[in-house]
Formats: sequence, C-alpha cells, structure tokens
Amino acid sequence: MGVHPFVICWLIFAGPLWAAIGAGWLSRVYHRKGLERASARFVGGLGGGAFGPVFLVPVHFLTPDLRKWQWKAGTGAALVLELFLLFALLQPQNLCVTNANYVVNQILNGLSIGFIYALMGVGLTLIYSVQGIVNFAHGQFYMLGGYISYYFLNSVGDVNPLLGIPIAGLFTAILGGLFERLFLRPMHLGRVERPSEYAILMTFGFGFLLEYTTLGVVGPFPKMVTQPYVNLPRLEIFHFLILPNRWVAGCVGVVLFLALIYFLYRTWWGKALRAVSMNKMAASIAGINPLSMNTTAFSIGTLLVGMAGAALIPIFSWVPGVGAKASTRCYVVTVLGGLGSVPGALLGGLILGVVEALGAGCYPDPTKGAAYRDVFGLIVFALVLLLKPTGLFGRKV
Amino acid sequence: MRRLLNLALLVLLVSLAASAEETIKIGGIGPLSAPGTVVGGIAMKFAMELAVQDVNNWGGVLGKPLELVFADTEGLPERGAAMAERLITKDKVVAIVGEYHSSVGLAVAEVCHKYGIPVLFAETWADAITETGYMEVFRIAPASSMVSIAWADWMKAVGVKRVVLIYETTDYGIGRMETEKQLLAERGIEVVATFGVEIGSTDFTPILMRIKAMDPPPDVVSAASVTGETSYNLERQMVEMGIAPTPQTIGIANQVAIQPEFWESVPGGNYFVFNQVGLPPAKWNFITRHVARAYYEHFHTKPPSYVLESYDAVWIMADAIERAGTTDPKALIEALERTDIVLSQGRYWFEYGSHNPLPEDVPKFMWHQWPNPATLIIQYFEPNQSWEEAAVLWPPSYQTHGVLYIVPGTKP
Repeated sequence: MGVHPFVICWLIFAGPLWAAIGAGWLSRVYHRKGLERASARFVGGLGGGAFGPVFLVPVHFLTPDLRKWQWKAGTGAALVLELFLLFALLQPQNLCVTNANYVVNQILNGLSIGFIYALMGVGLTLIYSVQGIVNFAHGQFYMLGGYISYYFLNSVGDVNPLLGIPIAGLFTAILGGLFERLFLRPMHLGRVERPSEYAILMTFGFGFLLEYTTLGVVGPFPKMVTQPYVNLPRLEIFHFLILPNRWVAGCVGVVLFLALIYFLYRTWWGKALRAVSMNKMAASIAGINPLSMNTTAFSIGTLLVGMAGAALIPIFSWVPGVGAKASTRCYVVTVLGGLGSVPGALLGGLILGVVEALGAGCYPDPTKGAAYRDVFGLIVFALVLLLKPTGLFGRKV
Repeated sequence: MRRLLNLALLVLLVSLAASAEETIKIGGIGPLSAPGTVVGGIAMKFAMELAVQDVNNWGGVLGKPLELVFADTEGLPERGAAMAERLITKDKVVAIVGEYHSSVGLAVAEVCHKYGIPVLFAETWADAITETGYMEVFRIAPASSMVSIAWADWMKAVGVKRVVLIYETTDYGIGRMETEKQLLAERGIEVVATFGVEIGSTDFTPILMRIKAMDPPPDVVSAASVTGETSYNLERQMVEMGIAPTPQTIGIANQVAIQPEFWESVPGGNYFVFNQVGLPPAKWNFITRHVARAYYEHFHTKPPSYVLESYDAVWIMADAIERAGTTDPKALIEALERTDIVLSQGRYWFEYGSHNPLPEDVPKFMWHQWPNPATLIIQYFEPNQSWEEAAVLWPPSYQTHGVLYIVPGTKP
C-alpha cells in the first residue's frame, strides 16, 4: 500500500513527532524561564502537531504567555482543520468529505447526545470535587433513574415523560444521600483505616447491589417508555435531519446544567459546597459543616445522573446492564473536562458526543465504524491525558 | 421373619427384571441444569414424557410399552457424551432423541456413531450436526443455514436488488452475515453495505445516517443478525429516522420481534419483517392442539417449536421401531430413513440418506435432515399485533395472506 506523498510531507514538517517535541521542549523552556509549564506543554503539543518547527521556533525565543485560551483554541482548531484536510486528501470519496449535510447531521446528533453525557458526568465531578472520591456506582444510579421514571409513568398513565424526570431525580437523590450518610460518613469521621480503598469498595459494591437487585426485581427484559416527549419522530429541514425527542432530552440536560450553575454560584448552599471543595478546613472555620456538605454533594450528584437516566428512557430501551456502559462514559467525560470542573464536564460531554458521532460516521471502513465507536472517545481521552493530565479545565492538583 | 423378607426381595427383583424385559427403552437427552438452558430442557422432557404416554395409550411398540430414560446433559459437551455412553451401555436404550444445544449434539453424535445407535436431534441447529453424514444421525430441527437460505430465497422472490446488512460483532453475527452475503450474491442480489455493531450499544444514529445518505435508498435494511435488546434500539431508531420500513425500503427485525416487549420498545415497528421457527397456530393440526393443550395446562403458555419437535421425535422413533419389527439398530436406521408420518409439525420424511444419496449440488447438512421445518418469514401489518395474527410471507406453503410482502401503508 503506497503512502500518499502529502502524508509523508506532513509527517516530516508537522504531525505526531513535532507534537511530541513541542510538548516536551516548550514545557522545559518555559520551566527554565520560570513560567507556567502545563499550558506550554499543551499548546506546544497542539502547535507542534499543526505547524511543526514553524510554530515551535518563534515560541521558543519569544515565549509568549500561552495560558490565554486563544492559544489553546487557535492551535487546537488549526490541528483539527489540518487533520481534516489530510483526511479529505486520502479519502476523497468519504461521505464526510463530499456531503456537508451529512457532517452537520452527525455533529448535531453528537451535540444532542453530548448534553446528556455532560449531565451524566457533572454529578460525578461534583462528588469528586467535594468528597475526593470517585463514585463507582454512578452508572447504576443512572440505570435506576430510568427505571423509576418508567414505573412512575406506567402507574400514572398517559402523561408526558418529562414528568418522570423530577420523580426519578428525587428518588435517586434520597437513595444517594442515605447511602452517603450510612456508608461513606464513617470514612470522613476517620473511623475507617484505609479511606480511599474503602470508598472504592463501598461504591463499587453498592453499584453491584443496585444492578443485581434491579435485575431480580424487574427482570432481564428490555423496558422502554413508549410515550414520546413530542409526537414527531423526525424533522427534515433542508436535508437536515433532526430527532426532536433527542433534542428535548438534550434541552433537559441544558436546563438542569444552568440550574446547577445557578445553584453553585448564587445560593448559600452552592457557595458552601464550592468552599468545601476548595478547602475543607477553611470552610469549617467559616461555619460550614463539611459532613453535611458531603451528603449534599452526593445527593445532588445522584440526583443529576438519575435525571439523566429518566431523560433517556423514552429514547433508548433499558436493561439493568445499561449502567456499566454509562459509567465508562461518565469517567471519560469528567476526565476530558477535568475532574472537579463543572464547565469542564459540559465541554467534555459535548466533545465526547461529537467525536463519537463523527468517528463512527466518518471512519473509512463503514463496516467497522460503529463497532469502533467507543474507541474514538477513548483515543481523545488518552490524548488529553497525555497532553494535559488535569483535563481541559482541570485545576492543578 | 428374615427368610420371609429375603423371599419378598427376591420376588420384587424378579418382577422388576420381568417388567424391564417387557419395555422398549429409548433415551431422552436435554439440559436440566445450568449452564444449559434449563427451561428448554424441562419443556423438552415434558414433551417426550407426554409422547411416551400417548404411544403407550396407543398400544406401545411391538406389543410392549415404551419407556423413556431421560439424562441431563447440562449444556456441556463432555457431560452429553458421558450421558449418551451411559444410556447406550448401561440402560441399553435402542435409540436416543432430543437435545437442545448444538455443542452437546455434536458430542452425542460421535458417541452414537461409535456404538451404531440411532439418534434423532430435536433442537440443535448447527449445520455440522448432519454434515458429518453419519448413518446414525437424524434431525428434525432446522439447520441454521436453512434460515439464511429462507431469507435469501424470499428476497429473490420479492425482487430485491440492493441490501444493507447490520450485524453484531460476535461469532454468531459475523458468521451469519458472511453466510447471507454469499447466499445473496449467488442469487444476484447486491449487498451494498454491511455495518458491524457492538452488542449492548444503544445509539446507532451515526451508521443510520450513512444509510440515510444513500442515494437511491437500499431495498432492504436487515437487523436480523443483531440480537436481544440491542436490536430493539436499532429498530426503533430505524423507524424514527425514516429509514425502514418505508414504502421504498423493507425493514427486517431480529427474531426477538416475536416477543410482546417488541411493541413497547419499538412502538413504530409496524411492517417489520422477521423470522420464526415453528408453525403459526393457523396451521396447527389436531396433534399440535393436543400437545399445546397439555403444555398450556402445565406451563401456561404456547409451546415453542422445540416442544413440538421433542414430542414428534419420540413418535418418529416409535413408528420406526414398529415398522422395523425389531430393535436391531441397523434395521431401525433403515426404517428411520423411510419415515413418512404426519405429526404435530406436519409431515416428516428424510429426503437424503442411503436410500437416496445426497447429490453434489445439495448442501451437506441436508443428510438425514427433515427438509421442511417451518422457517417462517412473518410481517406485522397492524400496530401491537401478536405474531400469530401477523402475515406469514414465506415459504409459500405456509402463506396465510397470499402475499410475499406487504408494502407499508397498505393492508393484505
């Protein structure tokens, strides 16, 4: 198989080799000059990958302030554009190159799913930032939220499935709060010898308990809310295909996200939560009880993920095993955006949604595209970990 | 007192030996414990016992009562082989019937071949079971390729030109996709694209958009090789995105579309086509109804095809013994090859065997294979329809509404 000359040129004058050089070299240069090295590594990697020495040499001598978002966005966009042109050159027949509508459709679809991914991930990030633990039962709360909504809607009859969302959220929030109060508090009170292992085992075990109890109660057969949000399966406007029900679910994600941001930045409880996440000791001196904040954070985290589940059960059919796959997505979303960052979770969710859709939609071999779908998300995940281990919006640990 | 007890024991033993001599034993096999499919094994055992009871009410075979010795194969090939060995050498059965799992069936076939004892499989689908061409091995369940062939023949009859196959990336899905691709190519039907999906995925819009962008749209989009709840999500999204079933494109669903949950998961699933093995109630005869009634009293549901197959397998064996006039294995096999009897699934016969050697152009799995198991192609034409009311499209001998295909938006 012959390699296209353009690819060879790209590999010589830009590409992964220069990205690695840029990331390593610039971070050293910035460090030597006493400047911040994390963003130098990130921008150096992106810029090196996009422009090679043309970018790296001037930056090496001028050492501009790379912490500004313009640098990150600019070099990132240039690299994405360059990779797309290269792809177009190699795959001139690919639908993603020849059909702009198709690309827009894939992106729109990716965004609509991305909002829900963000909602799933943000709960995890919130719990992590306040408690410092990863909730391994997160996906199971998501699964439970879906089932609660399903049984609620079935019992009340013909109502809009939107009504199931707060009910499911309420239930998972109470369950999450109880779980935290009963099983995680001993860890914060210093009654447990190895707290971090304890938290992993506890949440993991609780996840199993939830999954298999649900399996025992509802059975293995798939369930789904048949009543749609809006009685309009699809909208086709100028060849743009819109699936209204997904957008309703996506909008639910956006609304809840805005509500969360309002809560965190405008209410006393939200401010207290943020204070605890920044510094437990200082917060308790200021009169905030970190223990009740732990429970609050866990409740809100499980509330959000339960609502995400309830928002999706009219769209996907539900089995007790859906939680496991959702968990993986949550981890990717939060690590992409930066563990502990709320806006990061939003960006992470959107990126994951779009990357998965475009990856599966544009992969040259259509037979394999969909089967590799999870891989595309994980590639971005690995790249972010390599270039910016704290995630896109991560704070310094 | 002690002497009296001894005498009583002796009498009991003699009478037991006498009664053992008086019956003709056949072996029944099936999974009664995990990892086998226990529900399948229990139902098969029930059907076989019912058949033995009916045979004996009829007067038994060769003037003696028929006796069933059932062995649990646990879904494990090595266990199946050991059980077959025990049935043949210790219980001295004259023939073996049943089994649910193909892997066990293959192991049992080897043992029966070693001892020259005939075996009639009731629910093992792997082509390889009859492909060996052993004199001892017979089957009344379909070979799995027969299902793929039914699809390909039906598509050719409908006049389909361009097909999209979606399959799950498992041994089953990949194997089936490859077989179907070849069968369709042989019939001059073009497979324009194949899409592999991971089992357990929920969102299929990226690949469905690829299908949506096809110009002209394909004639068939088949999700038949995607199993379980994964197929429900896929089919629902096919409907939502307006890909299939549409007047232009035939939508094929996985066989789980037969379950009542289908309508809950795919509310817009009207006009989907799917396949089912086993007779539709409209084609039941009085024997089928008799089995179904007994089965319903016990299990409160309709009998699946393997129940009917198990019931019939015992009768086919009894009939062969009766016609052979002896329990000699060679004579019994010869009689089995000439089987021609109407039972709960219709008329049974074995087209190819030593009496009619397999021609070159016939697939090898047709050896000692009942050629006519009902591998039906069915289509819904009303929302929330039960599969019994849906239209049977193929094969023509089972058609219920006299049509090959119902174009969405119309009624048969």
